[in-house]
Amino acid sequence: MKVLSQVQITPSSVILNGKSISASSINGIYREFIGDYPKFFKMDSLCKLGFVAAELLLKNIPIEEKENAAIILFNRNGSLVTDRNYQKTISKEDYFPSPALFVYTLANIVTGEIAIRHKIYGESSFYVLPNPEESTMNEVVRNTFLTSSPSFILTGWVDYDNDEDYLADIKLVTK
Amino acid sequence: MEDLVLQLKNQIIEVLNLEDMTADDIDASAPLFGEGLGLDSIDALELIVLLEREYGIKLSNPTEGKQIFKSIDSIADYVSKNRKK
Repeated sequence: MKVLSQVQITPSSVILNGKSISASSINGIYREFIGDYPKFFKMDSLCKLGFVAAELLLKNIPIEEKENAAIILFNRNGSLVTDRNYQKTISKEDYFPSPALFVYTLANIVTGEIAIRHKIYGESSFYVLPNPEESTMNEVVRNTFLTSSPSFILTGWVDYDNDEDYLADIKLVTK
Repeated sequence: MEDLVLQLKNQIIEVLNLEDMTADDIDASAPLFGEGLGLDSIDALELIVLLEREYGIKLSNPTEGKQIFKSIDSIADYVSKNRKK
């Protein structure tokens, strides 16, 4: 597989294709490099993280080249942060279920947000793994190239635990 | 009524995560959906929850919603006449 571009985002750094770029937070990355998608602020933290990481890799690629791409992401925590936040809205003492939180109680929503933004119609999937196991992740990606022939695949690890502990480590790859 | 309109604006900004927006930026008579604030169907559900949680108003007739959620002014009018808390 050939890596076309890659980005790594942590609470302390943003590294795009080997170069460190300035940005203070996930919202800071959005404001500095994106800024034209108000729906961003309605997303949960996992989606925001995946969205800004994907944006840095995909924003300069023409729409027609993205149409047949695939998105395959992995993480450990699933959508646990939002699951917990939603759970607080359905306690017996204070039962007001939040629809806006409920829609993000699935980890694979982040792949949908990216696909909608970039008009990507190829395969999208999200796997929850105990750890970022390269061999497992590469196998899934290789199988996707064999079965659906995407133009390229946006793939990698997008995991959010809290404001001090998150990691997006994703790349664009071709066969 | 002015106080209620301001309170609703601030509550809506908070529950709908309208980042970078202040109460002054919202025209109370402007449409909330489609144009204006451009809210969507999930936002509509959040507004229903907001009315129940903050004002004790339970919307039993869904067709009422279209009229009630037309603008901040129409929400304020409905809340002032139907609030339980």
